[in-house]
Amino acid sequence: MSVTLYHGEPNGPSLTVLAAAFEKNIAAELHRIDLAAGDRHRAAMPHAVEIDMSIEGEGPVLVAGGVAMADSVFIACYLDDSGTGPALRPADPYARWEVMAWCRYVIERVAPAAAFLGTQAHLADRLAAMDDAAFAHLVGPIASTDLAERWHAVRAYDFAEEKLADSRAKIAQAVVKVEAQLQDGRDWLMGDFGIADLESYAWLAGMVSLLPDAFADAPRTAAWLARVKARPSVARALALASDDTPENAWAPGPEINRWG
Amino acid sequence: MADVALYHWEPNANSGKPMLALMEKGVAFDSHYLDLLNFDQHKPEYLAVNPLGTIPAMTHGDKVLTESTAIMEYVDEAFAGPALMPADPADRWRVRWWMKFMDQWLAPSFSMIGWSVFVGPAVRAKDPEELKAAIERIPMPERRVAWRKAIYGSFGEAEMKESQRRVALGITLLEEALGQSEWLASDSYSLADINGFNLAYALPLSQPTLSNDALTPNIMRWLRAIYARPATRATWTMGRTDMAKRVSILESEPA
Repeated sequence: MSVTLYHGEPNGPSLTVLAAAFEKNIAAELHRIDLAAGDRHRAAMPHAVEIDMSIEGEGPVLVAGGVAMADSVFIACYLDDSGTGPALRPADPYARWEVMAWCRYVIERVAPAAAFLGTQAHLADRLAAMDDAAFAHLVGPIASTDLAERWHAVRAYDFAEEKLADSRAKIAQAVVKVEAQLQDGRDWLMGDFGIADLESYAWLAGMVSLLPDAFADAPRTAAWLARVKARPSVARALALASDDTPENAWAPGPEINRWG
Repeated sequence: MADVALYHWEPNANSGKPMLALMEKGVAFDSHYLDLLNFDQHKPEYLAVNPLGTIPAMTHGDKVLTESTAIMEYVDEAFAGPALMPADPADRWRVRWWMKFMDQWLAPSFSMIGWSVFVGPAVRAKDPEELKAAIERIPMPERRVAWRKAIYGSFGEAEMKESQRRVALGITLLEEALGQSEWLASDSYSLADINGFNLAYALPLSQPTLSNDALTPNIMRWLRAIYARPATRATWTMGRTDMAKRVSILESEPA
């Protein structure tokens, strides 16, 4: 089966999927796209509803057997089911529930906060420097109205202090949660290495330099971050970066929960 | 006493998802009905089960599970009975994609509208001081924020308009998807259908100008087919309020 992966810089959801593909020995044809330039919305890309309306925001797209897929955790589950190599989720149903509930927490609470803080620090100035026509060309093809609005908000530097504070709190809470999970001395979040490690690392790695205080009293988390980074599949994904700081590559991500 | 206990509210939205999944699998469970509008989910008896105070929660032996969609995947994997996830990995991806799309994009918009017309007014009839104390007892800060918004109806006009936009678009996308296959995410009945039914069963009643036999024949066919299933009938008899009775709209004949 022919498999193609359109991925951005190895950070956030692109990192999860790249590393999962390498873990599972998937022979995917890799196409780098610039998520921060809106490449995902160009005509040459597949445009199924699941791609255009993915609430992950600017994430990778995997095309396998003609099916275009979005949303990194679920693509990783697909790769886990389809590839060879060690399982990225446990076999026991309760342990699998722990993984899916953990990942749900990451995609619903951590990812929106990280994308908010990451785009403020690393994308807003770049978008503000664009002229109006160039920006209109970038956002024009975006099918999802609310995703396009998030792009506009980044360019307009619409980062309400209340949301920034909440996002910082969410990242700090995530570090506390990771630290507690590693309390018994385990190497990986769920026992064996897997999707939970990838997805958590992918969103948190870029937060270390932005929120050093959140990580200051978390030695187990620091050691875990280093272990994930050194994992061959992750190292191979990071080696695809176009500069030395892939953890600073951000594009608009999932929205912050409208209910608060 | 069954090995499984479910703590739930009405067969509706998140509570209804594991209820219907358990029924489809033929798993016997002890039902613990919590009155959401009476804040039963924040009382000490329940916090002893789920300290976060969110519903639903399920216990299986000594294990405690939360998060309705993740619970459904567990129910499908842990018990015998008909498979509620398709066999093909790409179909499984599509089931999960639709569940996330509904859980995190569409359902919050439905509930913003639902709470402003139903839950908020019902709860506001209570004593204001009692309400204030009830909110203070909510364990999760984000749930406190959400309940405050719901109770005091503090959603702005722009927020409600955005919810209406999403509901209308979501109905269009569901109709298109159900025009392509018999069930929502694959050719077999799955957790995505269970999830979607809990979100959309009252659609022809709550959004009659957007969803009806003329405009959305595939959604109507799909809702009636799910309602015809014995597990759905059994689940909806567990409702105690008029909310669950709305399902009777699906007893109508196709126009």
